[in-house]
Amino acid sequence: MAVGVIKIDRVSLKKAGGFMGINAMLKGLTVTGRHFFKNLFGWIVGKPQVFTVMFPEQDIAKPPSFRGMPVLVQMDSGKERCVACGLCEWACPVDCIHIEPGETEDAIERYPKVFDIDMGRCMYCGLCEEACPEEAIVMSSRIEIAAFTRAGTIWHKTDLLTPVDELPRRLDYVRRGYQR
Amino acid sequence: MSDETAASAPSTMNGRFKKPVKVVIDGREITAEAGHPLLQVALDNGIEIPHYCYHPKLSIDGSCRMCQVKIEKAPKLAIACNTPVTDGMVVDTTCDEVAFARKGVMELLLINHPLDCPICDQAGECYLQDYSFGYGSQESRTSSPRRKGLKRHPIGERVIFDQERCILCRRCVRFTKEISKTDELRVFGIGDKSRIGTTSERPLNNDYSINTADICPVGALLSRDFHHKRRVWFLQEHESVCPSCSNGCNVKLGIYNNEIQRMVPRRNDEVNDTWMCDHGRLNYHFAQDETRVRTPLIRDDAHAAPASGNGAGADVKYATTLDAALEAAAEKLRGAVSVHGGGAIGVLGSPHLTNEDLFRLVQLVNALGTPNFDMIVPVGPADDFLIKPEKAANAAGARALGVKPGDGGKDAQAILEGAKSGELRVLLIVGSADAARVLGETGIKDAVAKLDALIVVDANRSPLTDAATIVLPGLVWAEKDGSFTNHAGRVQRVRQAMEPHADLQPEGALFARLAALFARGSAPAAYDAAATLREIAAGVPAFASIGFDTLGSAGLALQEPGAAGAAEAAAPAQA
Repeated sequence: MAVGVIKIDRVSLKKAGGFMGINAMLKGLTVTGRHFFKNLFGWIVGKPQVFTVMFPEQDIAKPPSFRGMPVLVQMDSGKERCVACGLCEWACPVDCIHIEPGETEDAIERYPKVFDIDMGRCMYCGLCEEACPEEAIVMSSRIEIAAFTRAGTIWHKTDLLTPVDELPRRLDYVRRGYQR
Repeated sequence: MSDETAASAPSTMNGRFKKPVKVVIDGREITAEAGHPLLQVALDNGIEIPHYCYHPKLSIDGSCRMCQVKIEKAPKLAIACNTPVTDGMVVDTTCDEVAFARKGVMELLLINHPLDCPICDQAGECYLQDYSFGYGSQESRTSSPRRKGLKRHPIGERVIFDQERCILCRRCVRFTKEISKTDELRVFGIGDKSRIGTTSERPLNNDYSINTADICPVGALLSRDFHHKRRVWFLQEHESVCPSCSNGCNVKLGIYNNEIQRMVPRRNDEVNDTWMCDHGRLNYHFAQDETRVRTPLIRDDAHAAPASGNGAGADVKYATTLDAALEAAAEKLRGAVSVHGGGAIGVLGSPHLTNEDLFRLVQLVNALGTPNFDMIVPVGPADDFLIKPEKAANAAGARALGVKPGDGGKDAQAILEGAKSGELRVLLIVGSADAARVLGETGIKDAVAKLDALIVVDANRSPLTDAATIVLPGLVWAEKDGSFTNHAGRVQRVRQAMEPHADLQPEGALFARLAALFARGSAPAAYDAAATLREIAAGVPAFASIGFDTLGSAGLALQEPGAAGAAEAAAPAQA
């Protein structure tokens, strides 16, 4: 595979930064200052233009390419799509997935009796999603993993199950991304 | 697939000596015996030829057509499994013609094969999967629906059959015909309608039925025990020996999360070829179930009887440290010897222990100075193939190492009688299940009432560990290094596959420490199975030249095979 090479002109970069990077620092302060005065003016006239989102009360819409916590897709029947094949467990670079397979009388004979993800370990790489042959585990837009105990950061199957209706954009993205 | 290559030179097809011939495979000149299958010669020399139906221990079927190779001067491709090597044969396994033929065979086999890989237990060790990646096409040229068949069909008590996955290689049919000789499986129907099946009156229930799941190159026949249990690529495989009878079938233990997930046979042409019985294969749960004794226990009557007040006081046992339990056991033994002499102690060894453990036990018994030393060898049904009557892995080794009554000593039956009558003061029982069965419930009660102390060393609970004064937890065979001696006097290596619980130690270490404590000597050096076997080799003539470095994965025969294997049963065999 050919690799594109960009030659960096270090001399002119240095010049742009100025003595000890003061030019660049001033440039940054200008941006900060512009926002500050814009907001200050807006506050005086009664229309503050705050760019900060008041998380967690407010949230921003994340693009489908956003990789948050991995979740299990729940079918309309209430069951998981997962068949406990173990490919995500194998693909996971940080070994944060633990699956105990079981057998059912359903048409799909195999299901995960236990499906645990240690969110404290997960690094949101998305390899589990890429490995999954059933589109059963996808990266959601959820990002809140805080817990009071270490055990609390381990998410069990019931915590992970997410209805398929809540994940259409990501599922669509995955299908396009991996050309399924 | 490593089982396919012979560990030693394969036997000739018809038993006659054949002169060596020279063949050239892929440009390599190879010397082989005339008449051997070309496929086996290639495999033995590290040349891979894909195949499904060929199995070194079964007759040649030639039904899969996967092993086709190009042979010079032959009009068309030939199957390597049914082509005997002849002098001057020039074979090409890599040319385009062969690759095209393999691709065609793969396509034919995959036309009706379901996409079950994510839920198939065979995935990861599936020939079809491997060869599909290696020789197949990644594209499907047909969109017509795949043939439907039986799913999850209980073809036998211990085997599950998935008809859709079957590629009709007939390995299982040949197995039931030639190896188990039970003939349950047949091919029914012809052509596209062919399918493997049993007649309804005779399901696949022979003593060796799960071997069909092993030799099935795809996931059509599966072990019920391992069904949907664990993906094979998560298993750590350790070479070991089956502990269930004195045949000593070579096995591989599949370990996950420090638990045995399955036991599969390992090829050893001297012992079990590539087979093992169902009973042995499924008899591993005791290594990890709730009957395991994980803590040393001391029954403390003085402490418990008055305080508890609920009447159960005398039966209360206290979990203690290993040091305290060993000290207490040594105390009891010393007390009995100083008051009544060595003859007041009875020791029952166990044929389930390794040679190394038993050697330390013999040393302990010598230190105690008691002639009352024997073992109980459980017996059960046997056949003329692999299942042997002695249901313990190391009875022959125990005999070779001298687990038998000393001069004027009591045998196993007399030791147990002596414990019941009060003739013996302290009884040390290693491996309690068989002794508990012989004694029976009332016998145990009598013995405990008469004895000063009942010391039990065992890895699993039994009525005797419940009644014992002191319980020293042992380890199961999968948790320790060592060696077993099978019925024919073949010493085979057992490797540690699981980590023992907490700081539990092998029985050999317990016996060595107990002997030192008994004699008030200094603590023995840390127990090491390899060093113990060197000591055995130096001290016991039959074991000369046997060591961990020489055993290898196939094992070695004892110096005097007759002495260990055919010896009279030293212990009364108890049904």
